Amino acid sequence: MKNISALILFLILTSPFLKGQQLPENYGNIPDELVAYDKYQKAYKYHFITPIQFYGAGREKLPPKDLKEVRIGFLGPLEGSNIVSLGTQMLQGSMLAIEDANEKGGYNGIPYKLMVHNDVGLWGAAANEIVKMDDEKVWAWLGSIDDIVSHVALRATLKLEIPMICTGDPDPTFTETNIPWVIRNIPDDRQSCYALVDYIFKKKGHSRVAVIRANNRYGRVGTLHFNRSSTRIGYPVIIEERFGDGETDFSTQMERIKKTSPDAILIWGNAKESGLIVNQLRSMGMNQPVFGSDRMVNPEFLNIAGKNASGIVTTCQYNPDSDDPEYKAFKASYMKRFGQEPDVFAAHAYDGMNLIIAAIEKAGLNRALIRDVLTDLKTFQGYDGVTGPMIFDATWNNIRPIFMAEFINGKFKFAPAPPLEKDEAIYKKTNIGY
Amino acid sequence: MKRIFSKKTILYTLILIIIAVLVVLILTMDNKSDDSRKISAADNDYPDFTTIESMEKLARGSELAKGSEQMPVYGNWKTFTEKDGLPSDKVYTVRIDGNRVLAGTHDGLAVYEKGKWRTYTTGDGLAHNGVVSIDVSVNTGDVWIGTLSGLSRWSGGKFETFNQFNSGMPNDLVYNVFCYGNDVWVATGGGAGHYNTFTKEWEIFTEQNAPMHEPWTYALSAGDGKVWIAAWGGGVIEYNTLTKQFRDYVDPDGFMEIDLQPDDGVIHDITTATSYADSILWVSTYFGMSRYDGKFWKGYFDHDSGLASNFINFLRAEGPVVFVCSDNGLSSFNGKTWVTYKKFDNSTDGQAIVKDGNTLVMEMPLSPSIAHNFTIGVDAEDDVLWVATSKGVCRGELLKN
Repeated sequence: MKNISALILFLILTSPFLKGQQLPENYGNIPDELVAYDKYQKAYKYHFITPIQFYGAGREKLPPKDLKEVRIGFLGPLEGSNIVSLGTQMLQGSMLAIEDANEKGGYNGIPYKLMVHNDVGLWGAAANEIVKMDDEKVWAWLGSIDDIVSHVALRATLKLEIPMICTGDPDPTFTETNIPWVIRNIPDDRQSCYALVDYIFKKKGHSRVAVIRANNRYGRVGTLHFNRSSTRIGYPVIIEERFGDGETDFSTQMERIKKTSPDAILIWGNAKESGLIVNQLRSMGMNQPVFGSDRMVNPEFLNIAGKNASGIVTTCQYNPDSDDPEYKAFKASYMKRFGQEPDVFAAHAYDGMNLIIAAIEKAGLNRALIRDVLTDLKTFQGYDGVTGPMIFDATWNNIRPIFMAEFINGKFKFAPAPPLEKDEAIYKKTNIGY
Repeated sequence: MKRIFSKKTILYTLILIIIAVLVVLILTMDNKSDDSRKISAADNDYPDFTTIESMEKLARGSELAKGSEQMPVYGNWKTFTEKDGLPSDKVYTVRIDGNRVLAGTHDGLAVYEKGKWRTYTTGDGLAHNGVVSIDVSVNTGDVWIGTLSGLSRWSGGKFETFNQFNSGMPNDLVYNVFCYGNDVWVATGGGAGHYNTFTKEWEIFTEQNAPMHEPWTYALSAGDGKVWIAAWGGGVIEYNTLTKQFRDYVDPDGFMEIDLQPDDGVIHDITTATSYADSILWVSTYFGMSRYDGKFWKGYFDHDSGLASNFINFLRAEGPVVFVCSDNGLSSFNGKTWVTYKKFDNSTDGQAIVKDGNTLVMEMPLSPSIAHNFTIGVDAEDDVLWVATSKGVCRGELLKN
């Protein structure tokens, strides 16, 4: 007892000497057992625990006089991209919010105008579009979906100091750039990966999971935390295969996966390729449970996969079947205006554009002040959008709980992702080799 | 309580405290010896196997290097804003060019000569009014200007534009331009590249032919035959101009949300600038700064050094001193001593904070101080220091005493 007391006293007295170390808090809803290196040592520096500030000038600028329109930028894949259908939904969601605001009188009687820019997915092209937005004198902008485009645009928006809301790119590293000019209202793939790891390994008891993913940044970064987390809990992915955008024959990858005898398969890619992969899996007699990214929650995927979609489980950033009156009103309004159901990109764009409009109406026409309102972690903390609440962390990333989607009886059934199970037996070794 | 404070317990505790203090002292001594080893390695005269560095030194003078055996401190600050003739208060970059000073602003290139500012814009032939980077070729005297939409060469009073449509430029948003020998290097939103002013050919580096996941390059610098590209998200890409080989330096821990060890490599993959001088490579990030002497890395954060802030927009090394433009003050550092310039809120005054490592040496009042704490660009030559900020550009003079 005396020795224990002395040890406690020693630790208390010497703790200030642990040079540079800070008390870790879990950023990004990271489960305790998945905090990087935590089993072995504390990190010297934990980032993203508190939000960084913007110390630059600009708040003193007076609003311009004689404005005829209040411009807000939009960047999305509208032509020349393989995700045009997603970009179109995002544009429509943005348009609906702008139209709603203009019906209410715009900004002090001045109408909002959407300055639409296409992202073609080519390296660097987005940077040029943000410069054009600056030349157009937009007050803030919304976009995009492709994570390459979003990153390139983010760098330009920092240089030009234009507030940005990302409503479609779930790349976890996007907000981990520490840029105080962007917020993201769509939950990211870090949250999806934690939910999938928990569901696949702990709740469903699988141990040999094969991954087939898009051979691009979306696939690589999207599955990053799935791979890391599954390894940390003792079930490393047994094989990872990749495919290119537009690829239609996956037999080579499927053969390699089949030889490893997985007990579950995770697909991470766009709707079309994911649907084709599911069909080829089943045609090869591979009847393992299939899990996937949220991009499977898409009519194109269902059209291609048909009955083969049965039993597939994915994550989804919100509940498209929500009974929330505001969401139902948005859905009805959207269907009336555009003749189709809104998807995840439309709904989050609608919320994101409403955030921009609310920030402008609170802060006035000054980019720095609009930024301040968007990032103060007070004004919009807990904001209830049609997609659900917004719970922003210190990187202004929405870390609200996400949903699981299971395809049953011809439709996706959505349910909140169950709380993550704390695994006391972490770092256990799997007995199954590969 | 009585049991805790029994005589034996107090004795054990005292012994443990003594051991702990000794351990801390030993560790501190180790760090100091590490530092001095790195600095003395840096002080070696590495042979110039090209003449570019010596030409640069000759052209730009070497007074700073001599004077910085003790850290230079600058004062008598003079701020220039729109009221003084700048086209915009938002100044991205500043470069000293002989008897004139070139300032890149959001609304044009401003040139300070004989006490007056003159502005050049697209109306004069500039590629775009947003000027974010400037460098001057020591070979030709040409001024190379990186803008938000194209690269301009200013030569003989005329502007010539290079962009994606009329040249091999990787992207029109030129974040950084750097002249090195006959080459003009650019870091753009779509890759890095260099233009050979003799052959008039471009060579582009992207994820296709260089070890970067994505070609989001943001800044670069060169020296001793190597070019260091700050690849935003990809750490630092080193390119050997003789062997044409690449290697990359990334944060070894592989996680965005932590820095496991500050001295195990570049401290974060989101790099914002590199600068090379006196055989030392300095790397800035939005998470702190790294120093590399060719063998050892050392990381610096605002909590363990004199760094003004971890969010660093830009840095430039001149001789043994690096000037660090952060979002909350300007820091300078020679591997041992820090001098950080900060302006007080709602005042033109401020102070220079001198630290030895993380130990405060003195706070020197400055009246007036730097233009603004959000510093974006810097250039030093002889006994003057120019700083670009988000609220004007300012000029400081070397304080002799």
